[in-house]
Amino acid sequence: MWSGLANKKLFGYIGAVVVITAATAVLKIFGGHVNLTTAALAFLLMVLFVAAAWGSGPAVLAALIGSICFNFFFLPPVGTFHIAEPENWIAFFSFLVAAITAGQLSARAKRRAEEAEAGRHKIEHLYSELRDAFERASEAEALRRSEKLKSALLDAVTHDLRTPLTSIKASITTLLDEVRGRSQDEPVVALDSDSRLEMMEVIDEESDRLNRFIGGLIDLARIEAGELHLRRRWGVVDEIISTALARAEPLTRGREVEVDIEPELPVVRVDERAVSEVVYTLVDNAAKYSPGNGNIRISAGRSDNGMITMSVEDRGEGIAVDLRDRVFEKFFRATRDGDISTHQPSGTGMGLAIAKGIVEAHEGRIWIETATGGRGTRVVFTLPIGDEEAPEVLNLPRL
Amino acid sequence: MNNKPRILVVDDEPQLTRVLRTGLSSRGYDVRAASDGLAGFETFTDWHPDLVITDLAMPNMDGLEFCRRLRAVSQVPIIILSAKGEEKIKVEALDIGADDFVTKPFGIDELLARIRASLRRAKAPPTNESAQTVLDLGDFHVDFEARNVSVRGREIRLTPKEFDLLVYFINHSGKVLTHHTLLAAVWGGDYVEQDQYLRVFVGNLRKKLETNPASPHYILTEPWVGYRFSPSE
Repeated sequence: MWSGLANKKLFGYIGAVVVITAATAVLKIFGGHVNLTTAALAFLLMVLFVAAAWGSGPAVLAALIGSICFNFFFLPPVGTFHIAEPENWIAFFSFLVAAITAGQLSARAKRRAEEAEAGRHKIEHLYSELRDAFERASEAEALRRSEKLKSALLDAVTHDLRTPLTSIKASITTLLDEVRGRSQDEPVVALDSDSRLEMMEVIDEESDRLNRFIGGLIDLARIEAGELHLRRRWGVVDEIISTALARAEPLTRGREVEVDIEPELPVVRVDERAVSEVVYTLVDNAAKYSPGNGNIRISAGRSDNGMITMSVEDRGEGIAVDLRDRVFEKFFRATRDGDISTHQPSGTGMGLAIAKGIVEAHEGRIWIETATGGRGTRVVFTLPIGDEEAPEVLNLPRL
Repeated sequence: MNNKPRILVVDDEPQLTRVLRTGLSSRGYDVRAASDGLAGFETFTDWHPDLVITDLAMPNMDGLEFCRRLRAVSQVPIIILSAKGEEKIKVEALDIGADDFVTKPFGIDELLARIRASLRRAKAPPTNESAQTVLDLGDFHVDFEARNVSVRGREIRLTPKEFDLLVYFINHSGKVLTHHTLLAAVWGGDYVEQDQYLRVFVGNLRKKLETNPASPHYILTEPWVGYRFSPSE
């Protein structure tokens, strides 16, 4: 490194000698056409060039050699180092001082520029290092969060798998014990037919619950992988709602279910089965999280932006504003994970996440607002009406 | 008058309370169910059950708070229904005063065995070494005044701390005792984090008491939680 620096300096000094020699030669070629001022300015220009190119030391050398050449070749008497006229002495010293000063100033300016450039490089380097460090830290943080999320999801999944399994295992072992007659440690009280039936019903219902949960997991995985393949066909909103309500009938028994569909709604180009699943999920939630006899209201209408708006509302305790986005996160349950105090059983925490996936796959939107009258939950979603090829409005009998 | 032992089941899973109500009733227990700690506590104060079975994760009042409230007013045996992965909260519940736990999913026989053991313990007269000088329990004979212990007729030489630890085990036989509880009871509150003391002393006790210390029958390990003492092989 040091030898490189010395070579660079030596090259500067040699350059200074070469430049001044070349300038002198060129000026001499023009001979009588060059006056003192022209020669002095030409040398001064060369000194500035040397200063700009190689810095302070070579600039001083160039100024000194330039002064000698200026004196020897251009100041009368030419060809000697003697200066006859006093004004030429002034010219000589003026040139010498001007050359050295200009050379130094130019060299300093060059040095400053180089320092500024070096500073800029250093800042750029620091910035790049900082950015890399930040990116590494962000990646580590993202990884940590992702691991935490995975662990939370795993906990949620295992809880939801284990809960029905617990009921199944407790039921089946009770039945098995009776069959095997292993009641010698207990006061022997045989199961009556109602109890036996109840155990079997629990096994049946909890098996269905496990199956629904696994189905939900598969749907979620499909949505997240972008593999939710919609089979869009022209469909009628009334039919979609009535299909969902027929399926939800066991859940809504004993409640008043009000359906309000705007007359002459256009048909929609949707995956009817998927949208019906959304309506069913919302009705299921409305039944699950509102009082036993609370009304459920389903409405559908045309909105201003060329969309169909559908909503399901209940008269439950409602969902706090800060939880209204979170309830669409998978495995989030307002009753278990949030603040809502309720005695109602919790769901799987997947229904709304799946509903959101289905609605968004249709380029629609889903959100939660306070129900009409300021009490309860209203879940609203939109669906685009379809493209230009929509068939004529179908007037079908109302529900 | 109904003489059936009364069991209160507190769980927010209606299907599980349904199964337990039917399953336990068929075994001669009088069962009532509540869906959370708050409702459970109300039923407890009105009904005075002989045993309480409770879940840990519940809305309104969770199992931990429910155990705390119960212990403030009663020594009723409490069995926790816990899931794998809930070790920390389970240990906390046992420290508060819960007697035993069953890990979900469980077979009805396992739960029934725990219920029987807890009810037996609750019915047994309290063992108080200051009031009695000798105690015979299972394979053990303890002379509190002489600080002597015999197992199956064989006298065992114990250090003072080993004796204290064994007496605590004997006085709480059948019950799950957390590391924290044992350390606080035998070494004092300043030593509750010193699990290694307990491991060393339990190891020594096993060498002196057990036929095969590698496969203990008296001092049983409850993984991640603590120990359970069984007075008979």
